[in-house]
Amino acid sequence: MKNYILCLFALPLFLAACQPANQQPQARAVTETKAAVPQPNEEELAESLFQLPDTFQNQDGKPVVLADFKGKPTVVSMIFTHCAFVCPRLTADIRQMEQSMGEEGKKVNFVLISFDTDRDLPARLKQYAREQQLDQNFTLLHGSEGAVRSIGVLLDTQFEKDEDGNFAHSNIVTVLDPHGIIRYRKEGLGQDHTQTVKEVEKYL
Amino acid sequence: MNIRKMLQPQGPIRFRKRLNLHAGILRMMAVATLTVLFLITVSLSPSLAHPNPSIPAIEKKMVLVPAGPYQPFLKREINKPIQVKAFRMDQTAVTNAEYLEFVKANPEWRKSNVNPLFADKNYLAHWKGDLEIGTGRYNHPNAPVVNVSWFAARAYAKWAGKRLPTVPEWERAGNGRPENLGNKTLIAYILEWYSKPNPARLPTVKSTYLNQYGLWDMHGLVWEWTFDFNSYLNSSDSRGGTQDENQLFCAAGSLGVQNKEDYAGYLRFSYRGSLKGKYCIPNLGFRCVKDL
Repeated sequence: MKNYILCLFALPLFLAACQPANQQPQARAVTETKAAVPQPNEEELAESLFQLPDTFQNQDGKPVVLADFKGKPTVVSMIFTHCAFVCPRLTADIRQMEQSMGEEGKKVNFVLISFDTDRDLPARLKQYAREQQLDQNFTLLHGSEGAVRSIGVLLDTQFEKDEDGNFAHSNIVTVLDPHGIIRYRKEGLGQDHTQTVKEVEKYL
Repeated sequence: MNIRKMLQPQGPIRFRKRLNLHAGILRMMAVATLTVLFLITVSLSPSLAHPNPSIPAIEKKMVLVPAGPYQPFLKREINKPIQVKAFRMDQTAVTNAEYLEFVKANPEWRKSNVNPLFADKNYLAHWKGDLEIGTGRYNHPNAPVVNVSWFAARAYAKWAGKRLPTVPEWERAGNGRPENLGNKTLIAYILEWYSKPNPARLPTVKSTYLNQYGLWDMHGLVWEWTFDFNSYLNSSDSRGGTQDENQLFCAAGSLGVQNKEDYAGYLRFSYRGSLKGKYCIPNLGFRCVKDL
């Protein structure tokens, strides 16, 4: 049984590995000077975050696994919506990244994962997306305590709940390539994300 | 033995015998059907992507840690003690022998199969093989298992029907009064341990001290994983966190911690802050807890 499961994980990776090869001629035709999309080697693929088995829920209440983001580069960060200052700031940083990319921004997944497993249910995440004027390129995720801790550990994002249900946390923007491999991280608020955008564009 | 006799041991009357026989066959069929249905359900269950939940072959003694307050080590803006609910905790750290049962039941956690996302290359580095502990200095069957990642520890806990303790739970349990240390204070004892290099031979569990809750070796044997080990904010960028290591290092010196005498606590929090989930380290093991 375990082998089947492994195969199930492995299969999409193989498919994914083939995909960009098929798409490359088109991409080249559009931008002649653009460098080829870097392809991961086997060792790197073994550390794809898309292997995380946990299921999350998006702002529409639909089940999502990280592997659903395969095929496009992903900009991911962790927040909670009752955060008064820091998280809206971080969200704005990411929205600005999207805007600075113009039309290309549509070829990127923007993902915000909530620390707040109790309060940030899908409806609340949807409301936050509206308040922060996030478009359909943004996926906001709710998950179990175990799932959120796992992704926090994988993204090196530290967080701790206080007695009032709020969170002390690090602010990190992470770039995943289309295979789910961590390619770039930037820590802090109100940062210059020019380089982050450049890192994302390598995979378009 | 005659199968009829097995099916209806009590009836001497022929008529009842036959009825009982029919009832017996029906019962057997029902049991068989249910078993098949159960097996189908189990084999189709999506939870198989996670380790097999099953009853571990080794019964491990757990002891009660009663409810009570835990004063967070770092000072917070909101500075209230955390109320820790009562829980049960493994009396000792998980041993090599116990961990062997886990890898037998969960092939994906064997040395040669482990996913590099979830454990680095030092995973079970001291073991001789996938299913062989070996005889090295850290390999006593009753020594705590080390060189296991956080993901591995969590998978073990899940398999055992348990979970990893949170930092407040672990610290509350770890602060339990020692029962057999004589006049030495706990902090003095811990600092003595921290000051020693890793031992040439890793001792077995129950080789250090027992505390008031009946827990062995909370300090003095190995460091232990906690569920939220990455909750301690040691962000390298001062603009990074809403609260961060500035509280420990800048301006206030060490005054930001609750008890500045507790240098041992300071070391423990720094140690946790330096870990990553896939790290496998020769002085880091774990024990599990369970809700009441």
